[in-house]
Amino acid sequence: MAVLELKQVKKTFGSGHKQVEALKEINFSADKGELIAIIGPSGSGKSTFLTIVGGLLTPTSGAVIINNKNLSDISEKERSKIRLKEIGFVLQASNLVPFLTVANQLKLLDQVKKGNMTKSQLDDLYEDLEIGELRTKYPADLSGGERQRVAIAKALYSNPSIILADEPTASLDSDRAYEVMELLKNETKRKNTTTIVVTHDIRLVDYCDKVYKMTDGVLLQVNERNDKRDEV
Amino acid sequence: MMFLAWNEIKKNKLRFTLIIGVLMLVSYLVFFLSGLATGLQNLNRESVDKWQAEAIVLTEESDKSMNQSSLTIEDAEAIDAKELAVIGQINAVAGNGDVKTKVSLFGIREDEFIMPNVTEGKVFTGENEVIASDVLQDEGFKIGDELQLSSSEQILKIVGFTDNARFNAAPVLYGDLSTFHRVKFGEADELNLTSINAIVVRDDNIEAITTGKSLELMQVETFIENLPGYTEQSLTLNFMIYFLFVISAVIVAIFLYVLTVQKISMFGVMKAQGISNGYLARSVIAQTFLLAAVGVIIGFVLSLITGALLPSAVPVAFNLITMSIYGLVLIVVAIMGAVFSILTIVRIDPLKAIGG
Repeated sequence: MAVLELKQVKKTFGSGHKQVEALKEINFSADKGELIAIIGPSGSGKSTFLTIVGGLLTPTSGAVIINNKNLSDISEKERSKIRLKEIGFVLQASNLVPFLTVANQLKLLDQVKKGNMTKSQLDDLYEDLEIGELRTKYPADLSGGERQRVAIAKALYSNPSIILADEPTASLDSDRAYEVMELLKNETKRKNTTTIVVTHDIRLVDYCDKVYKMTDGVLLQVNERNDKRDEV
Repeated sequence: MMFLAWNEIKKNKLRFTLIIGVLMLVSYLVFFLSGLATGLQNLNRESVDKWQAEAIVLTEESDKSMNQSSLTIEDAEAIDAKELAVIGQINAVAGNGDVKTKVSLFGIREDEFIMPNVTEGKVFTGENEVIASDVLQDEGFKIGDELQLSSSEQILKIVGFTDNARFNAAPVLYGDLSTFHRVKFGEADELNLTSINAIVVRDDNIEAITTGKSLELMQVETFIENLPGYTEQSLTLNFMIYFLFVISAVIVAIFLYVLTVQKISMFGVMKAQGISNGYLARSVIAQTFLLAAVGVIIGFVLSLITGALLPSAVPVAFNLITMSIYGLVLIVVAIMGAVFSILTIVRIDPLKAIGG
């Protein structure tokens, strides 16, 4: 059973002459334990795709189904709950609260998610992401790579079904970028989540199980048998 | 909800100390003005409050001014009330040879309820003996002083002091009616033995009381409000306090709005992650409450310290109940000032956080 399904999803902005079709009849599905890359240039519709999957934007037509729940059939409040419980976001700019220490970043999630992670699970999370030493540090005291590791820890908090990563390596040098991708890959497999990475950096596709290419609102899967880099 | 609020304050100590400082100064000003308002009110009314009476009878033509009212003891005898007291009143300047001050002389009957308590010395018994307001003590008068009065040949002698005895900003001298008659009418006092200025009434049912023709019975509060300058003074200070409430709401609104605008992208990310508007709004309210409460408490304590250090000539009197109410109002208006920030947060589009 797919964790995430998009059925004939269309999204248009504006009307009349100014109407822009950002997504054109997208069909897409993702299973547990898959790390998927959506590659494409700026303005191709990648971010629109991600915001629709994340329940932040409603499609003009079609259905977005997360764990058998059609996002179009539920209220904004319920969508917000799904974002909180079932989706973890990793954003290009660090999504950390500047005045909270690393430990408090996770404590905040513990408060709003009504504490559904035990202490040992939390310790495991710190250990898996190698951020145990950073607990008392503020985001301003962390390096770019460390910030993204903490951001991934936040996204993984309480084991969401889906991780949505928007250009997670945009602000990092190559070594750090590979490190972050390795981490995302490992955590996806270890926690059996579904991770979708939206990026224009083709170096990252080697880490992914599936690669899709977005061009002018059209999403096409890259042939898995060929070298993914050549295809995109 | 205190979690975010408190952690942000802890991390940005200087920024929030400045906000608390501004709120503290506003609340200090509010408390001090309220103390000044109460002090000035007391200056005018404390001797009247001491009567613990419900009503006062004056002549209609006096326009609610005791000084201008002239009636007789017979008028009092014609009134059927639970308790009555007659009073004669005249303003004068009293001097003991060293110091001069404005006073209000009350002529009363020793056995009636407006007879004051004596805090030092004894009650008046002989001719021209008076009990004086203890304010005169601070001004250099003492028991045994002989007082020369303006526009009178009479010499009064202080035999005791009483507290809370000021009328229309002047310290009160209490003497018997005959002392009052001698001061007011001089050699003609024998012709005016029944002359008084007002009749003070203690009765819960003042509506049922009838007075003689050309007399006016009014509630004590109405009488006080018509003391010269009293209402104008109170209104001025109260308006200043009310404006300060508005000013504090605006200050908090501006500060919090600027802080919120700086955090728009952070709130956008939080909302994208599914953190509700309600949680963020409660956090802003909790933060405002903390800042306002700390500012108000410091302002409160500073006002009391200032009041204790000021010389007695400054008419400041702190009414803790009034101050507590004003403190609560300040906290409430500060929270109302946070509404703009909450509306801004509610309007933040989480899409912006993802660059959609």
